[in-house]
Amino acid sequence: MYIVKRLFTMIVTLWIIATLTFMMMHFIPGDPFASDAKMLPEEILENMRAKYNLDKPLAEQYFLYLKDLAQLDLGPSIQSKTRDVNTLIAEGFGPSALLGIQSLLMAIILGIGLGVVAALNHNRVLDYLSMFIAIIGISIPSFILAPLLIKYFGVEWGIFPVASWGTWQHTIMPSFALALGPLAIIARFVRTSMLEVYNQNYIKTAEAKGLSTFSVVVNHGIRNALIPVISFIGPLFAAVITGTFVIEKIFAIPGIGKYFVDSIFNRDYPVILGTTIFYSTILIITLFIIDLAYRFVDPRIKITSRGE
Amino acid sequence: MKKISLAFIAIMLLAVTALAGCNNEDSASSEGKSKKDVEQVITANLGGEPYTLDPAFASDTTSFWVINHLYQGLYAYDEDGEIVDGAANKVDVSEDGKTYTFTIRDGVAWSNGDSLTAKDFEYSWKRVLNPETAAYDPSQFYYIKGAEEYNTGKGAVENVAITAKDDQTLVVELNNPVKFFPKVVLGEGFLPVNQKVVEADEDWAAEAAGIVTNGAYTVSEWKHNEQLTIQKSESFWNADQITMDTVNFKMIADATTEYQMYKAGELDLVAALPAETVEQEKSNEEYKNFPSFSIYTYTFNVEEEPFTNAKIRRALSFAIDREALTENILKGGEKPAYGYVAYGVESPSGKDFRDEAPEYFKFDSEKAKELLEEGLKEEGWDKLPEFTLKYNSEGNHKKIAEVLQEMFKQNLDLDVKIENQEWKTYIDTFKQKNFQLARMGWSGDFLDPYPVLNLYTSKSSSNFTNWSNSKFDDLIAESLVEQDENKRFELLHEAETVLMEEMPIIPILFQAQNTLISKKIEGIRLDVLSKPDLRFAEKVSE
Repeated sequence: MYIVKRLFTMIVTLWIIATLTFMMMHFIPGDPFASDAKMLPEEILENMRAKYNLDKPLAEQYFLYLKDLAQLDLGPSIQSKTRDVNTLIAEGFGPSALLGIQSLLMAIILGIGLGVVAALNHNRVLDYLSMFIAIIGISIPSFILAPLLIKYFGVEWGIFPVASWGTWQHTIMPSFALALGPLAIIARFVRTSMLEVYNQNYIKTAEAKGLSTFSVVVNHGIRNALIPVISFIGPLFAAVITGTFVIEKIFAIPGIGKYFVDSIFNRDYPVILGTTIFYSTILIITLFIIDLAYRFVDPRIKITSRGE
Repeated sequence: MKKISLAFIAIMLLAVTALAGCNNEDSASSEGKSKKDVEQVITANLGGEPYTLDPAFASDTTSFWVINHLYQGLYAYDEDGEIVDGAANKVDVSEDGKTYTFTIRDGVAWSNGDSLTAKDFEYSWKRVLNPETAAYDPSQFYYIKGAEEYNTGKGAVENVAITAKDDQTLVVELNNPVKFFPKVVLGEGFLPVNQKVVEADEDWAAEAAGIVTNGAYTVSEWKHNEQLTIQKSESFWNADQITMDTVNFKMIADATTEYQMYKAGELDLVAALPAETVEQEKSNEEYKNFPSFSIYTYTFNVEEEPFTNAKIRRALSFAIDREALTENILKGGEKPAYGYVAYGVESPSGKDFRDEAPEYFKFDSEKAKELLEEGLKEEGWDKLPEFTLKYNSEGNHKKIAEVLQEMFKQNLDLDVKIENQEWKTYIDTFKQKNFQLARMGWSGDFLDPYPVLNLYTSKSSSNFTNWSNSKFDDLIAESLVEQDENKRFELLHEAETVLMEEMPIIPILFQAQNTLISKKIEGIRLDVLSKPDLRFAEKVSE
């Protein structure tokens, strides 16, 4: 019952998002066919608009779009001409998701590690060192970090290829550039909540039982300290696997990050709608999974709808 | 018997000279570079995914760059940039200059083995003109009889004067005897597509496997948003002349990354160097600055005060120190513009059209003040009404707008407001003529003064100045039918003079291309109208 209700809410949410986006994007002035190269005569522009149904009244365009959307057809891309939005997303999602997941794993593993080390060495050198790294991670934006990585690891030392896509070596620098920020945030979250958890009685009990430090940290400490991290990872997950404009541009990754931004500049209406709906769907599903995950790490959190 | 022995001797002699020739070549190459051992592969950067490789729909330089390597039209450019015969090896022009009869070469073929015929051209051109195709720029075809009518829904396809008389003969009739028609036909829209392939699958050009070409290369691999590889086409009639076997086009959007990849040896060529690196690369022998056939202007709305007066318009032009702008501020190899038509057009005298003309204005703040005074008097104003300078937010337009604002303040003591908008919004504003003075750039469709001057005739769809001048219109119209090239260029010079005296637009600068070409590569041809031509490039060392 819960799942059905949840599914229904998801569909309604998506419909609202699609409608709002449709309205907003038609409010922006400008025309998808006003190209950079040339001012075309109005008759030629009319022919182009007709081809993409843009000469029809807005209400009709809206219903045509919803009809296609119900069949999971996101329409043609005006800019790409021969390839439709479904294809663009299907092709670009792979690299974006791979990079996203890789950087997320990097951020989680290193972030938790750093946080735990800091908490266990509270107010000692390792704590300060970890938190120093975390501050750097938070304060250096990825668009500064990425060119620095390229300059040193790519050009000067020649360890990794400068940019482009193809082998695993190509993924290292962009993954790291993407991971550093979240890594730092996770480290700080973990440190704070570990410190909090460590003052709880059950940790003292576990220690008193004579469990090893490892066992106390892993089985009792981290598990409880992870709850705030999970709330942070949910939206982050949806954001990183759908690609990022800046990192994908700098490292020339064939992902979908650029469509979110370029489509708006190009007034490529179907791509604006397609990417928004795709991102929303991923986000909604992720939030649902996160709700389930809470229950797993903390059985006290129950999944119920109100009134049940 | 005698005959045979003579022939035999002749053959022997030929063989000996040929062998000697070979020897010479060998010794020459072993001294310097052994080109034969070097794999002929070049890696360049497209800058992004080409939106389409179907010539009918392409609108951007990225797509054009690849398309120009894949297809060949009736005419072509050779390695020196001269216009030579392409798919047609004979062109007859009727005495009145209105009918062109093209004879398609014997044995020219598509990359799938089909033979290329005159019917392919008829089909391709009419496809662009079909309003339902919604092709990018059918207006280039409007010189042809019946083309505009058909494309705008006022005429039938039967009345379009493009006819394949037989497989080898294409007859085209024009509205006017335009001398520059061959230059028009060099445009990407005039490239042929294979009728069978197009009709079988509308999206034939979406993937490497479906693309059938008639030019120097075929697409061997297309990893979208990542890399596109083109391979020399064995079926191309002129394949012997093509020295570069493989071109890898990477798709790197970020100009700084592209530059770094070049520095790391991952690219052989940077076609558009980021402006901030030009200064530091200027002394590098791999650096080359090349003009681009495009002009950067500020456009007046001559119906908006205070720009209703030509003297006031000219005053602003005299107040701009273009040299300071290009040399000290932009530093991107741009040239100051003292006329309207950009560098790159060779006139019948052999000189560049630009160099033939006088400098129509220069930086002179005294003259600027004088003109402003006179203009104010004519209009009966004591002070210039306020005005706003509009520009779009992208690129270096902001910098240029601020410099102009500063120069108008210093040289004419004017307080000018500046305002920017994002490109597509800006285009809307511009088309609605909702401005007093606004930035705009043009590139020519083909390499002639006509297409850029024609933009400012009264009935041009690109004239947003509200300026209309019958003398200018007449000169342009006259030039269109003039058969004598010398006279035609005179008329175009006269038209430019009218435009510069009336000044509905201020030319600011001529854009340039800044390139880096690896020392390993020779023979890349730079072109004022498009991206570098790689067909005749040769890699001389690994």
